[in-house]
Amino acid sequence: MRIAEERGSGVVVVAPGGRVDSVTSSALEAKLLGHVRSGDTRLVIDLEAVDYISSAGLRILLRVANELRPMGGTLVLCAMAESVREVFELAGFTALFSIETSRDRAVARARAEA
Amino acid sequence: MVHIAGSRAGIRRANDLFGKFSAAHHLPAGAVWPFQIALDEMLSNIVDHGGSARPRAKAKSSKAGIDIEFRLDQGVLELTIQDDAGAFDPLTAPAPDTTAPIESRPVGGLGIYLVRRLMDAVEYERKDGRNRLVCRKKIEA
Repeated sequence: MRIAEERGSGVVVVAPGGRVDSVTSSALEAKLLGHVRSGDTRLVIDLEAVDYISSAGLRILLRVANELRPMGGTLVLCAMAESVREVFELAGFTALFSIETSRDRAVARARAEA
Repeated sequence: MVHIAGSRAGIRRANDLFGKFSAAHHLPAGAVWPFQIALDEMLSNIVDHGGSARPRAKAKSSKAGIDIEFRLDQGVLELTIQDDAGAFDPLTAPAPDTTAPIESRPVGGLGIYLVRRLMDAVEYERKDGRNRLVCRKKIEA
C-alpha cells in the first residue's frame, strides 16, 4: 500500500492510496498508531486516493480515534471519494468523525481544535 | 470456479482476479468497488473465522479450500464464494448498532452488514459439506 505523509504546523497528514481492506489495513494501522504513540496527536487522514474501504479499514479509524481521545488529540478525515463516503454513511461512521471536503480545510480544523 | 488459498495471499489473489474480470468486461468503477468490498469482507471472514468451527483448525491461515467465481449475465454481476470450513451462515448475524457512540461502537458484524446493504441480494446455502454464498447486484451502465 502507498502511504504518503506530510507534516506542517503541528499537524501530520497521512494519505493512503488504493485499497484499504483486510490485506492492506495493518500497514495503515501501524503508520497511524506510530504517530499517535510518538505524540503526533493532531492527525489528518486524506482519503482522496483511496479506492474503497472495507470494515477492516473502518475498524482502524475507530481504533485511532479512540486512542487519540484520552490524549486530547484530534483526528480529521478529508477528501472522501464517493465509494468511501457511501460506506461511511451505511456504517453510521459519518456521525463519529470530523470530516472535511479538502485537505486544506482538514488541516485548518485539526490546527484549530484541541 | 477458481481455487484460492485461505490466507491474506489468497484474498489478494481474489482481488487481482476480480480486477482482471472487471477490466475484461469494462465494468464501471462504481460497479466494481461494492464487489471488492464484498470479496474482502466474505473472504477475510472465512480466513479469520472459518477454520474455528473445525476443531483441528488452529492455524492462522485456514486450510479451508475456497473457490470463487464471477459472472456477468444480462447486466447482473454475481459473485459466488464456496468454502469447506464449518457451516456458517453469515446472514444470521445480527446487524451492528450503527448509532452507538464512538467509544462503544461495535465492529463485529459490520462487514456483513455492509455487504448486505451494498448488494441487491445475498444468499447462503450449506450444500455437500460446503458453505456457498452468492452476492448479486445489477450493474448500472
